[in-house]
Amino acid sequence: MKSSLFSLLLLAVVAGAGCRSTQMNTVDPAQPANQREMISDKRVLKDQSLNKAVNIVGLNVGTGPEGFLKVQVEVENRTRSLKSFTYTVEWFDENGILIELPTAHSRPRSLEGGEIAAITATAPTPRAKDFRIKFLEPVGR
Amino acid sequence: MKPLLVPVTVAVLLLAGCSSPKATYVEADSSRLVTTVEGINLQDFAQAADAMTASLIDNLINPGLLKSGVPNEPALLAISRILNNTGQQFDTDLLIKKIRVALLRTGKVQTSTTIAFGGVEDPLVADLGGPPKRNPDYTLSGKIIEDRTKAGNVRQSSYIFQLSLSSLNGIAVWEDERTIVKQGSRATVGF
Repeated sequence: MKSSLFSLLLLAVVAGAGCRSTQMNTVDPAQPANQREMISDKRVLKDQSLNKAVNIVGLNVGTGPEGFLKVQVEVENRTRSLKSFTYTVEWFDENGILIELPTAHSRPRSLEGGEIAAITATAPTPRAKDFRIKFLEPVGR
Repeated sequence: MKPLLVPVTVAVLLLAGCSSPKATYVEADSSRLVTTVEGINLQDFAQAADAMTASLIDNLINPGLLKSGVPNEPALLAISRILNNTGQQFDTDLLIKKIRVALLRTGKVQTSTTIAFGGVEDPLVADLGGPPKRNPDYTLSGKIIEDRTKAGNVRQSSYIFQLSLSSLNGIAVWEDERTIVKQGSRATVGF
């Protein structure tokens, strides 16, 4: 029993050393010059650990002169260590039909502990009126 | 010894749940695609093409800076030289075709299939249609570069995608560079 406990303890120490804390410090202007149009969002959270690693702080959108939608999601890693994840952006037309493109892919991303980052996506066509962003933990292949 | 029975059973069940069949279909945009350090994977081309298309839309198309030589028609693009400066052999259309399709779907750009660097893409159209009736407004050229390094057991491969859109007077009206960096402790990651 003693040796099992020792092995477990050793494993925990080794694993802990591999995931050492790397927290990030940041600085922003106190009064930002930009006027962000934040929109309300609907979230479906099924993975709470992922929600902590990739916490959605806010969502803002903009449209250019030619009608292409641009989306920015501000995410924060609320853990103390580096977290990797993938995200996929889906675009829908005014009828809610998915717009399919050969450039669609799962985008890999990582955030240091405490890091806040902006994830941006540009609509592929002016027909895109809605979007959905899906986050997933790495599946390890 | 008996207390070991429960963890062993749980481990066996977990392994059974995680086992996968020998061959299976995976969606091309899935995050379950195989990723290797030693080469450019399908998802790397998609990632680079998506980033380049978004950059073109953000910097040129959406602000209304893309000009067509023919009023009320999309701008015409011709594909120039796309250089593969990596140690691997692949078809550069893995990158360029995705960008072409995405640009066509914007409704603002069309690509010529009879004017291209290295010969026409569609010889039948070139034969039947005669000489091209319209010159392209822009040409797309680029390069893919590879950089490899290793520190201890960690291998790192970087693939740099560079593209330029030039007007016919030889001015680059848009340029961008995207770098995809992959690290792994072995030649293949994940297996």
